[in-house]
Amino acid sequence: MEYQTVRTTCTYCGTGCGVLLEVLDGEVIGTLPQKDHPINEGKLCIKGWNAHEFIYADGRLTKPLIRKGDKLEEASWDEALQYVAKRFLELKEKYGPDSLGCFSSAKCTNEENYLLQKIFRAVIGTNNVDHCARL
Amino acid sequence: MENLKKNIKDMLESGEIAGFLGLIEEEGHPIPFLFTKDSLDKLDALTVPDIRYPMTDILLKIVRKYPEDTIGVMVRGCDDRALIELAKNQKILSDLIRPIGVACTKEMAEYCRCSQPYPREIHYGEKVEGVKDRSDLEKVESMDLSDRLDYWMGQFSKCIKCYGCRNICSMCFCDQCTLEDDTLILTGQAPPEIPIFHLIRAFHMAGRCIDCGLCEEACPAHIPLRSLYRKVREDMADYLGYVTGMDETERDPLEFLGSDGYEVPTKIDET
Amino acid sequence: MAGLAAAFGSGAMTNSVPEFEDADCILITGSNTTSSHPLIASRIMTAKAKGAKIIVIDPRRTHMAALADIHVKQNLGSDVAWINGLMHIILKEGWHNQSFIDERTEGFEELKKVIENYTPEKVEEITGIPKETLREIAEIYAKSEKSSIVYCMGITQHITGTDNVKSLANLAMLTGQIGRPSTGVNPLRGQNNVQGSTDMAAIPNKYPGYQDVTSDEVREKFEKAWGGPLSPNVGLTVVEMINAIEEGKLKGLYILGENPMISDPDSTHVEKALDDIEFLVVQDIFLTETARKADVVLPGSSFAEKDGTYTGTDRRLQKIRKAIEPLGDAKEDWEILCLVGKAMGSKGFDFASPSEVFDELAELTPIYHGIDYDRIEHEIIHWPCRDKDDPGSPYLHKDGFARGKGLFTAIEYKPPAELPDDEYPHQLTTGRLPFHYHTGTMTRVSPSLTHEVNEAFIELHPEDAKSLGVRNGEKVRVSSRRGSIEVKVMLTPGIKKGVAFIPFHFVEAAANRLTNAAALDPIAKIPEYKVCAIKIEKLDGREA
Ligand code: SF4
Ligand code: SF4
Ligand code: SF4
Ligand code: SF4
Ligand code: SF4
Repeated sequence: MEYQTVRTTCTYCGTGCGVLLEVLDGEVIGTLPQKDHPINEGKLCIKGWNAHEFIYADGRLTKPLIRKGDKLEEASWDEALQYVAKRFLELKEKYGPDSLGCFSSAKCTNEENYLLQKIFRAVIGTNNVDHCARL
Repeated sequence: MENLKKNIKDMLESGEIAGFLGLIEEEGHPIPFLFTKDSLDKLDALTVPDIRYPMTDILLKIVRKYPEDTIGVMVRGCDDRALIELAKNQKILSDLIRPIGVACTKEMAEYCRCSQPYPREIHYGEKVEGVKDRSDLEKVESMDLSDRLDYWMGQFSKCIKCYGCRNICSMCFCDQCTLEDDTLILTGQAPPEIPIFHLIRAFHMAGRCIDCGLCEEACPAHIPLRSLYRKVREDMADYLGYVTGMDETERDPLEFLGSDGYEVPTKIDET
Repeated sequence: MAGLAAAFGSGAMTNSVPEFEDADCILITGSNTTSSHPLIASRIMTAKAKGAKIIVIDPRRTHMAALADIHVKQNLGSDVAWINGLMHIILKEGWHNQSFIDERTEGFEELKKVIENYTPEKVEEITGIPKETLREIAEIYAKSEKSSIVYCMGITQHITGTDNVKSLANLAMLTGQIGRPSTGVNPLRGQNNVQGSTDMAAIPNKYPGYQDVTSDEVREKFEKAWGGPLSPNVGLTVVEMINAIEEGKLKGLYILGENPMISDPDSTHVEKALDDIEFLVVQDIFLTETARKADVVLPGSSFAEKDGTYTGTDRRLQKIRKAIEPLGDAKEDWEILCLVGKAMGSKGFDFASPSEVFDELAELTPIYHGIDYDRIEHEIIHWPCRDKDDPGSPYLHKDGFARGKGLFTAIEYKPPAELPDDEYPHQLTTGRLPFHYHTGTMTRVSPSLTHEVNEAFIELHPEDAKSLGVRNGEKVRVSSRRGSIEVKVMLTPGIKKGVAFIPFHFVEAAANRLTNAAALDPIAKIPEYKVCAIKIEKLDGREA
């Protein structure tokens, strides 16, 4: 019997409300508004109240996939990572760094955005870095 | 506080309770936490803060998974009243719950305009007398009927349909919630259909609402929900002589309505 | 963002969320705040209860509009005109703030010349806003002690998006409604970390912290920190990359957590590009429409499965904390990216935790320099925060603008790229619902949310429906020059006649099959999602 709440930030809009994820025996079972959060002060919208619902949704990816012909097949991390690195470096070699690019994500964390642009700028050598949300 | 911690520790160690639902302070923020034999070290962080989480609502989630275990829970006056009603509605077995009572301070009682800011049994804090303050209701009652309707329609029209009032309420425990019944209330609309959305909930709170005010605190539209439910609560007392959450033995006069969802009431309350 | 940056030197929201509560006037345009940012709307409602005047300018009677003191429906794409119109009246009446203009801004004379022509009569003709109402709005906005402007994608997603934003900045500077608490010009960021991802240089022309990739000095700093030569050339934007694929110039693409198949305008075009590209990697938590096209799919983690930070719309740093382990063999996204970096042979990805990544990025990003994980546990910090003693900045441009003087830009009204004509007689605008998020990948698997709505619809004015001979709930075909979709009709008197609205969350009826991706704002490169010409047809013989 283990129940705890984890303070975190709602992932559904830029307001950044404070939420508590309720974890019962290692499973997220609910979301509560953080009462002493300076932005939402214990209130949430319908998305915030249900921020946990998609976590275990059907179709969550749990294994790396590699395309074999017209199918995506499960692969090991090692295989997938080596393949990604090899193909990108080959393309860079053949067509130059500006033949590669990335779409980063306004849904991901600062750290993840930083790391992805660092890969493309510092390792590949291109500034073809952008994200899909334009405001 | 040290006594309280020792008390909880003893109950956990002796196996009297399998878990104790309270609050811990983490980096200055109080958050709900279930203490067990394996997390006794966390008792150092036990806290009894002024901010409130829906303890009995959380308790229900744990009880649903562990229906046979005895569980301790920190309760204030309102939570304790919720326990009484939850037991009557067969959502918990009182024998399997060990309430550890906390009396609220004068400031909290005033903030909540609470008539009984203490639980049946007090383990922590000093009992203070309740506050008799109906100013919110008097304000509305002083309006004539059409102003009153305008007032409430104006309030309800701000609703963003977050369901927060229901989600945070310990007494909203139905498996199927009428508010989500699309034959009664159109889905996908914000504000939801007014006043039906809010009146359905108000009627359902008759004989259930234990006046904790958590719903109003959770309402992003700042709708004075509690005044609405208070009126219903008063009417229950005036017309049916029943004060919700006060007596373990007295039967809820609306019990015949059943506890897993209600029929829609047809009469519109003119609060 | 480009617009605000040009005017003020920073593209971010100028003020913080709690400040809205104390404003005396809030002018909202292109944002249905109760839908897209409900907890900001909550603050706006508090402001109203405290006596603030709420003004909404929006072609639809949104929930926010219904709660406002004044709501006017402008013609789609006429924003520059009504803003110039407000300024015209303010200047005429002497409601402007001359000392603010003299001390803190430049470019006023040029602006004055242009707005001279935007008489209330002319503006009424272009925008459809009655001149009396325009005057009332001008007076309330200019004369209130603290007036705040709030906008969202309804302003930016036009070919004149940058112009629209610059115009709002003009208005704030003209009246001195900026640089103080509860004032300012406030773009509300749609997705949770739009602000942070731009701060972290998920844009082709900057390094983290808005440092130019074209500046030798900056580039040298990053070359030193990252240990290797960097490109001095500005890169391509999303839309340009898609075009570059078609031209055979872009061969490999890495997509992190995005679904451009749905989110990009003109998705037919995107689909073709993703089919054509030589090598596509997608890192996501679901097998999205985009991931299905990938050569490699890397399973990432949801916000509940990892640590990290988001930067809220008001430049506020916040933590997300790991509640559970990633599902199955999935990994935390920061870790995946470190592994990819290492697999490519780089030494710069030896991080043991997101907090170490943060320390590196804070070191290189002056506006984040004073921030660390320990501080944000205990404090609310809005960037810029330049050192450890700096408490951060809830509002910007207090004593001077980030660029020194605030820059007025004289702007003429230009009509939208695509106006209705005989063949496509209606105008379409797109937007969000309160119940869904973005392309719906997360919300459409959430039962409580799909229970509310799980199907696209087109909002039509009852009179338009009548002339088309369609009823509420009936399915119709909606087409533009780019594609067509079938959706259910929802009648609402709250929309301007001749205008239709489709929410953009639904793959099977992606509004972006219709929108005009070719029409890009020339500066911000934001496509015109918010207005295009469509035709609506009855589906004969077929029932919905
Ligand atoms: S709870 Fe609602 S308003 Fe708050 S961050 Fe989440 S989606 Fe945005
Ligand atoms: S409602 Fe009463 S018992 Fe409950 S927290 Fe407030 S003062 Fe205490
Ligand atoms: S049906 Fe009524 S009492 Fe039950 S959860 Fe819904 S609102 Fe609450
Ligand atoms: S005050 Fe509100 S939350 Fe508390 S019991 Fe009554 S209805 Fe439920
Ligand atoms: S909490 Fe308030 S806004 Fe949310 S559903 Fe209830 S009444 Fe509406």
